[in-house]
Formats: sequence, structure tokens, C-alpha cells
Amino acid sequence: MKNRLILYVLVLVILFSLGFTLPTDMRSLSIDIFIFAIYAMAYDILYGYTGQFSYGQAVFFGVAAYGLLLPVLHTNTNLWVSLTIALVITVVFGIVLGFLAVRLGGAYFVIITIIFNLTFYLIALDWIWLTGGDDGLTFRAPKIEFGVFSLSLYDPVVTYYFMLSFLLASYLILKRLISSPIGKVLIAIRENEERAQLIGYNVFRYKLLAYVVSALFTGLSGALYSLRTRYASADYFNIALSVQPIIWTLVGGAGTLTGPIVGVILINPLIYYIGVWWKHYLSIIGALMIFVVIYSPKGIVGNLINKIEKS
Amino acid sequence: MPIEPTIVNKIILAILNGVVWALIIALVALGLTLIFGLMDIVNIAHGDFYMLGAVLAWYGVALFNNFWLGAVMAMIFTAILGAVVERSIIRPVEGLPAFTVVVTIGLSYIIQQSVLATFGGSPQTVPEPIRLTIEFLGIRYPAYRLFVAGVSGLALIALGVFLFKTPYGLWIRASMQDKEIASAMGINVSNVYIMTFSLGAMLSALGGALAAPITQVFYLMGLDVLAISFIIVIIGGLGSLKGTLIAAFIISLLENFITLVATPTEARVISLLIMGAVLLIRPKGLFST
Repeated sequence: MKNRLILYVLVLVILFSLGFTLPTDMRSLSIDIFIFAIYAMAYDILYGYTGQFSYGQAVFFGVAAYGLLLPVLHTNTNLWVSLTIALVITVVFGIVLGFLAVRLGGAYFVIITIIFNLTFYLIALDWIWLTGGDDGLTFRAPKIEFGVFSLSLYDPVVTYYFMLSFLLASYLILKRLISSPIGKVLIAIRENEERAQLIGYNVFRYKLLAYVVSALFTGLSGALYSLRTRYASADYFNIALSVQPIIWTLVGGAGTLTGPIVGVILINPLIYYIGVWWKHYLSIIGALMIFVVIYSPKGIVGNLINKIEKS
Repeated sequence: MPIEPTIVNKIILAILNGVVWALIIALVALGLTLIFGLMDIVNIAHGDFYMLGAVLAWYGVALFNNFWLGAVMAMIFTAILGAVVERSIIRPVEGLPAFTVVVTIGLSYIIQQSVLATFGGSPQTVPEPIRLTIEFLGIRYPAYRLFVAGVSGLALIALGVFLFKTPYGLWIRASMQDKEIASAMGINVSNVYIMTFSLGAMLSALGGALAAPITQVFYLMGLDVLAISFIIVIIGGLGSLKGTLIAAFIISLLENFITLVATPTEARVISLLIMGAVLLIRPKGLFST
């Protein structure tokens, strides 16, 4: 326990000091990692903890990105209001889509989430009046306001700490959720759905809850990403964006919460640096996915935990 | 009041296009549902087999100036590829549905990037191998499309005969019902798996090859087909062959009719809403048993 506390403090100190010491490009990469780490954890709640394999989380990423962008662009609302609007809209979408997808589970769930994703992408490409289509829309990032203070998101150091604080807050909330009785029920559903049902839990309601929580945090990630890029396009609904959390979670370790973050930290720089010199880097990702599920299905953190428990 | 002839013409065209498209998509969707029904595998790379079919048909025209050779090449190539894929990368994760999805996503990426690297990223067209138009009921319709309908129809009948009149089909259907008992009765279920996956991939490639002159050949063309095939198998009932066939006609005709008054995307949204309604009323599909 004491060791763990030291570890936490150490990680915090490192993360905090990196904010002003990192060179520009690495800081930029770190900001992306913070944002996507939220997405990765959100996916872990859905797949890692509840066993619902979604292949369409980009829907919520995109919905929230536009949920933030459109109010700012058209009515110039301030940051906190637009972020709230984005998250509320995402939750509404999460409830409606979840209601249809979650009931059936298994293969139906996978297929339905894919269909949602592909259809939303088509709509985003088609409704140019709303989304700007393939070209997308740009906007001026609103200031971060706390009462009389205000900070500009055009300063990368500010953005670094801003995104980092969202990541830490998300981690704490989700960690709290999975350690709570609700989290135990979710794990019980993953391990044996019928048994959880027989014990008397309303499995549908818990699975829907996991789906909506996952949608909410995926949305947070999408909204923050549009805030960082000051831009959103139909590509924010791209099905490729739904594959990302699957890779992060599997590489890092499903059902560990920190595993998917490790996945982001390893995969994103890899894509960033390989993508520069080889445009077919996606085939490496494809091969990696096949390799991981066949040879290391527990992921990095999953294997580590296994080793620690054995010793 | 006399009905305007142009509207009648448009409706006839929509019906014809709907039927042609339904037959093509039925090939793809039946492959998908066959693979799922037998192995519980949601094959994400299925759309890419379709794309491979179209790309190889394009190569057939580009290299040998022979579309038919390309189509046959496509079927042979994907059948072999399907067998190899099943044996090498799907077998190790068999019985773990989520992992089979991951493996087929990985495969999908590898196929797409290989095609992008060789075929290129810009859409290509394949000239219609039969350059005849037939005039009837006041419209001109490309003979090739009628031919496509004929070939797809024949392929579907052949599939029916294969599944219901030959011992191979019997083995597949028996394994779909109960793997363990089928295995105990002396059926080599492992070979049945390889055969079915290979057959599914080949059907999808045939659909792609036939569709190549009608649509544009593009390395991501499989995605759209994957979406519509999934909608069809959900509406028809996952694993139900009859349901898949009927749903292919319903959705394809419907989308073609709606496209008369709206954009293709809006037609797709309506298909999605229908799927949602089916899920609420009959969660396991219209024709589930």
C-alpha cells in the first residue's frame, strides 16, 4: 500500500514537471496521449469490465466533438457551457443507441455498433450544412474561465495541464466506479452473465449503465480533442477511430484501467513516428492486432499483474 | 388522370436496379451469415473480400483485357485466401467471438493496405463487359446488369443445391446445428470450417467482381457493402439463410425506391431505422427460428 502511494506521487510529480520541460513536439504528443487515454479507459469500462465488445465508439467521439464545436461556432458560448452541452448530447445518444444495442449482446452487439458507426459517418459526410463534411469546420477555442481568471488554450503549456487534469479526474472517477459495488456487478456480468441474472441483478440495466458511462467519457475525449485541434470533420466519426481503443485496450490489458493507458502511450508514438516514413503503417497495426490476441491476449499490464500475483 | 411516363420509367428503373443490387448483396450477405451461423465469427474482412473481387476483376481487364478471367481469378484467389486465413489466424482464437472480430479487423487492415500499395488510392472504373442496352417498357437498360442478375441468381441456386443436395452441404448444415454431434457422427468439422470460410469469401468476391463495372473500384469500397450486409443479416436473423435472402430484397428495393425522392444517405438512415424497429419488435430478426 505504501509502495503504491509512492508510485502515485512519483507519477504525478513526473507528469507535472514534464509540462514545462518537454520539447514542443513531445508535449504535443503527450497532450494527445492524455486525451486518448480518457477514450481508452472509457473503452475498458465497456469491454474490459463488462465484456461488451463495441466496434463503434467513434460515434460518441464525433457527436461530442460537434456537440462542443457547434455551440461555440454559432452562438459563441463559453467553454464550460459548451462542454456541458457536448456531454449531455453524448449521454442522450448513448442511452438511445445503447437501448437498441445492449439488449442482445454478443455478436449482435458488435454488428449493431458497427452499423451505427458506419451510418453516422455517412451522415456526417453528407450533411455538410451541419458538419462541414469531409473538409470539416474550424473554430476559435474559447478561453478557460474561472471566475475572474482566464487562460488561453492557444498556449500549449496551458493545454497540457488542462488536458492532464481531465485525465486525472477521469481516472479517479472511473477507478472509484469499478471499485464500487456497481463495478463488481459489471465484472460479474463479464464473467458469467446468466449467473449474474440468476442472482437477481438486472443485467440489462447494468450493461446499459456501462455503455452510457463509456459513451460519456468517450464523448469527453472527443470534445477535448476538438477543443485541442479547434476543428472537427466527418473523420471524427471514422470507423478507424473505433479500432483505436480496441488496440489500446488489448495491447495494454483489458480490465485493468491502467492497461489501456499504457496501450495509448506505446501505440500512439509508434503510429506517429512510423506514419512519417511509411504510409502503409496501418498494416503493421493490423498485424499487431492479430499477434496480440493470439500470443498475448491478456496484454502488458494483464501479464504483469499475473506475474505479481504468482510471486 | 394520366400518370406521367417519366415517373413510371423511374419506378421501373428503381425496381430493376433494386433487384440487381439485391442479388449481388445477397451473395455477400449469405457468405457472411453462413460463416456466422457455423462458426460464430463476425467477419469484418468480409467487405474486403468483396473489394478484392472487384479489384481483381479490374486487373483482369487491365492486364489481360478479359473481365471474365478477372472474375474467375478473384473467386479462386479469395477461396484460397479464405482457407489460409481460417487455418492460420482464425483457428487459434476460435470460440472467442471478440477476438475473432479483432483478428478479422487486423486482416481487413492488411488487405486494404496491400491493395492501396499495389492498386492505388484513387477510384477506378471497369468498363461493362457487355456493351449492349436493351429497350423495353420505354426505358433503356444496360444488358450487363440483367446479365449480373442472371449470374447472381444462378450462383444463389447453385449455393442452394450445394447446401441442400450434396453431402458437403449436409455436413455444413449438420455442423451448424450441433458441432459435437456432427463430429461424433464422423464429420470432419475442422474441414467443414475451412470449406465454409473459403466458400463465404468466394461468394463475397463474386459479388464484388460482378459489381465492379456498376460501381467504382476503390480500396475502401468494402465498408459500405459491409454496412448494408450487416443491416440485412440483422433484419433477416443472424445465421438464417432464408431471412438473409428475403431481407436483401426488402432493403435493396426499399433503398432504391427512397433514392427516387431522397439522397442515398437518407435511404441508408431509413434502413437503419427499420433495423432499429425490427430489433425492438423481433430482436433476433424477422425470420429467426
